[in-house]
Amino acid sequence: MIERIKDLIAHRELLWNMTFKELRVKYKRSVLGFIWSFMNPIIMLAVFSIVFAILISRGNIGWFSVYLMSGLLPWLFFVNSTTQAVVSVVTNPGLVKKVYFPREVLPMASVFANMIHFFLQMLVFFAFLLIIRWHFSPYLVLLPAVLLLETLFTLGVALFVSAANVYLRDVQHFVEVAMMAWFWITPIVYPVGLVAQRFRSFMPLYLANPMANIVLSWQYIIYNPHKYAPKGGVAYISFWGLLGTSISAVLFFFLGYYFFHRTERGFAEQI
Amino acid sequence: MPYTVQIQNVSKMYKLYHENVKSLKEKILFFGRRGYEEFWALEDINIDVEQGETLGIIGANGSGKSTLLKCITKILYPTRGRILTNGSIAALLELGAGFQPDLTGRENVYLNASILGFSKKEVDRKFDEIVSFAELERFIDNHVRNYSSGMYVRLGFAVAINVDPDILIIDEVLAVGDEAFQRKCIERIEQIQLEGKTIIFVTHNVDLTREICDRVVMLDNGRIVREGEPRDVVNFYHKAMESVSSSGERGNRQVVITSVDLLNERGEPAKEFQTGQFMTVKVSYEAQAPVSDPVFGFSIEDYRGFTAYGTNTRLKGLDLGTIEGSGAVEFRLSSLPMLEGKYFVSAAVHSRDESVIYHWLDKHVSFDMYSGVSDIGLLYIPCEIALSNGAS
Repeated sequence: MIERIKDLIAHRELLWNMTFKELRVKYKRSVLGFIWSFMNPIIMLAVFSIVFAILISRGNIGWFSVYLMSGLLPWLFFVNSTTQAVVSVVTNPGLVKKVYFPREVLPMASVFANMIHFFLQMLVFFAFLLIIRWHFSPYLVLLPAVLLLETLFTLGVALFVSAANVYLRDVQHFVEVAMMAWFWITPIVYPVGLVAQRFRSFMPLYLANPMANIVLSWQYIIYNPHKYAPKGGVAYISFWGLLGTSISAVLFFFLGYYFFHRTERGFAEQI
Repeated sequence: MPYTVQIQNVSKMYKLYHENVKSLKEKILFFGRRGYEEFWALEDINIDVEQGETLGIIGANGSGKSTLLKCITKILYPTRGRILTNGSIAALLELGAGFQPDLTGRENVYLNASILGFSKKEVDRKFDEIVSFAELERFIDNHVRNYSSGMYVRLGFAVAINVDPDILIIDEVLAVGDEAFQRKCIERIEQIQLEGKTIIFVTHNVDLTREICDRVVMLDNGRIVREGEPRDVVNFYHKAMESVSSSGERGNRQVVITSVDLLNERGEPAKEFQTGQFMTVKVSYEAQAPVSDPVFGFSIEDYRGFTAYGTNTRLKGLDLGTIEGSGAVEFRLSSLPMLEGKYFVSAAVHSRDESVIYHWLDKHVSFDMYSGVSDIGLLYIPCEIALSNGAS
């Protein structure tokens, strides 16, 4: 394991190059290029603002579109990373069969490319918040910790599914479906208070979902629920949920890495 | 450490599954019932490659050469045994592996070098050298997707060979590119040899290994069958190949070539000739019924199928009239110009306009050329060297 990490560090430039390659290739033949990364959240904000302000009234949650975005952007970071990582090894047979390099670079590059994408979107989002003179919560200083938590968890999942997919191609289809289901058991479009109210006994199970805790944390530090939705049932931080999530994020990362490392030797033969 | 690559008792087994089951449903359905055959691509290979040595690996297709290289480069892992390497490795298993068509040549140079494990700094230093080696100065900022296959391969080779690895592993990649570029690659390899780097080299062009390798290993069916001095192993290889080379035969057999004999100056059959020696190619035939105006011919080809020389009775302005019964045509070659190597003789008899082929024997007999001179190439051209300097 330590050997592996040393090798990965020796190949860190490859990791950056692959990350930037993913970003560059994504926008290579488009006229607007990187501007799309900014356009995405702007258009999303505009659409949500119009839809939720005019069509659906959510009285208890002020600035519903901001609430939505503060959970949705981190969620998209997770989903896009995972769905890109799951095929990252199998779509690169030319590399895997022909050149040696630490293979974990492939799923990791998917995650980091999406992380950069996420940063750009957050930049736009925060610019919007500054323009509307948002009252930020002091908990915003915890942003790096929340980001680290989500990144570790995402890396763990990405490493696991990308390796498993080499041996069983069902994994990529499963991930697609699972992500949709996962989206709805995570409090992104509905307030967590709704779950707490109607299914009180299920709450511990509900909070066993690491992404639920991660999304709740993002909402807590960015959306500032105490100010904008005091009665919205949005401010919800569970100590045990967060502790469990932190442990599972670290555990997922190491288990994912270990699993990847164990299966990696057969990649060139299996693809 | 004296050795840079140590291959110790390496065996590699592939499982050949009877069916390639890849989805969950099939995995469950066939659980426990999936049979596979063991296929040992490598068996008990031991090779120590010393620092600064150039090792050639030769063998027929499927002999395990590429599997061995992939094991050395950690793309595959041996089923048994182990491989110890010491130093940075650049492997040319496939040129331009990992090139991204949507990136420019420049971006790909950096990406490709980092795949090989070299840093941006190292590439910065070597960048101009890489580009000029690949002869792509004008195109380096174009997308690789617009490159011709030759440009693609040149750039891949230029990156791998210029990043200064301790160990360079080359698999059959010199076959690409035009002759001038191949020559340049070989010169660069010779330069790398002078720098004391270790090179492992796999090729079908066995005569090239004689030119640049210190030691050659021949694999057959995953085992080492011969190892040592390049000249000795290459000759062994040619002999082994001869027994499996399939000689083609065609024609309507109105005239049958009954034998093709190679005779030396004393008229004795021979299998070995010296450069400059006399040779007679004797083509014996038999015609059951009269055949008018046949043309007899022969050609001498090297192992690549390159024709060193060929002629026939029509080209020589001969008219054989009508033949019947048995007879022979002798082609007398007063001085063989070929240098060392293995050659094949084909013989044919056909109608004047070649519209009817009576009998054609492809690479029917073979012979070896030996040479007292140490010159290289296909042919011996008498050469004298005169020196002069500015004063004269």
